[in-house]
Amino acid sequence: MDMNTWNILLVDDEVDFIVTLAERLELRGVNARVVHDGEAALKAVADNVPQVIVLDVMMPGMKGIEVLQKVKSEHPKVEVILLTGQGKTRDGIEGMRHGAFAYLTKPLDLEELIRTIDEAIRLPEGTPHA
Amino acid sequence: MPEIPKEARFMGTVTAQTMHEMQNILAIIRESAGLIGDILKVNSRVDFKHKPNMERTLENITFQVDRGKGWLDATSRLAHTPDTDLLEGCDLTAYSKTLAKLADRYVRLKGTALNFNVPSTALPVSMGALQVLMSGYRALQWAVGAGMKDGVMRVDLEGGTDFHILTICPPEGVIPDREGIAALETMLEPGRVEWDGSRLQLFFPVQR
Repeated sequence: MDMNTWNILLVDDEVDFIVTLAERLELRGVNARVVHDGEAALKAVADNVPQVIVLDVMMPGMKGIEVLQKVKSEHPKVEVILLTGQGKTRDGIEGMRHGAFAYLTKPLDLEELIRTIDEAIRLPEGTPHA
Repeated sequence: MPEIPKEARFMGTVTAQTMHEMQNILAIIRESAGLIGDILKVNSRVDFKHKPNMERTLENITFQVDRGKGWLDATSRLAHTPDTDLLEGCDLTAYSKTLAKLADRYVRLKGTALNFNVPSTALPVSMGALQVLMSGYRALQWAVGAGMKDGVMRVDLEGGTDFHILTICPPEGVIPDREGIAALETMLEPGRVEWDGSRLQLFFPVQR
C-alpha cells in the first residue's frame, strides 16, 4: 500500500481525537486533512475531492449520514468509512444502505482503519457495495 | 407493543448519551497513548533510563482502554434496550454476550467465575431486549446464590425450533432457593423456566 499518495479527509467534532489520529497517520506517511463538522466537510470535498472520507456519524449540526448522502450524490466514487457508536449497529447499517464502504466503532484500532482505507482505495470502480 | 416505564426510558436515554461521551474519551486516550508509542518507535535508537517503564505503561493504557471498551459496549446496549425497535424482538446471541458482561462482576463478587458459551449465529427471539437482559440477569443472580469460592457457573445458549434455550448450571455446592423461580417465571413470559434440581433452563420463543 502506497500510503504517501492517499488523499484522505477526516471528519469529527472531537478535536483531540481526530487531530491525534491525523498525527498518527502522518507518522505513517499519510497526509490527511481534518475538519470538525459536516458543512466544513462538504466544503473540503468541493475544494479537493478525496479518495476516502473517515466520517463520524454523531456530530452537532449536520449529521454524518446527511454528509454521506450529499457526498455520494455528487461524488459517487468517493468512499466513506463511518465511525459509529457501540450501542446500536443501526447507524452503521443505515450508512451502508446509503453507500458507506464500511463502519468502525470507537475507540478505533488504527491498523484496522488503515486496512479499511486501503481496501476502499483498491475497490475497483463500479463494484457494488455489500 | 410492550409498555416501557418512563423511568426506564429516561435512564436509557441519559445512559446512552453518557456512554457515547465515554467512547470519545476512551478513543482520545487510546490515540494519545498510540501517538506516544509511535514517537517512541520512530526514535527507537534513542535510549533513556525509564524507556522500558514508559513502554510498559503504554501497553497497560491500551489494555485498560480495551477493557473499558468491553464495558462500554455492554452498557450502551443496555441503555438502548428501551428503544422502540428492540421492544418486541432481538438477537438472543448478541444480548447473551451483553448479559455475560453485565453479570460478570456480580458473579465474581460471589467468588465465582462465569463460563458463558454462545453460538456464532444470531438467534432471533420474539422478546424485547430489556426483558431478555432483566430475566437473564435475575436468573444468574438466583443460580449463583451466595456463591462458592473458586466456583464456576457454566451457561450455555443453544438454538431450538420453537424456543432457544439458555441453560445455567449453578456452581457445585450451591443450592439455589426454589422460591425465586416463581418470580423468574413471571419475568420471562411468554417464555418459560424449568428447574430440574441441578440446572436452570430459560426458554425464549423463536421469532418467526
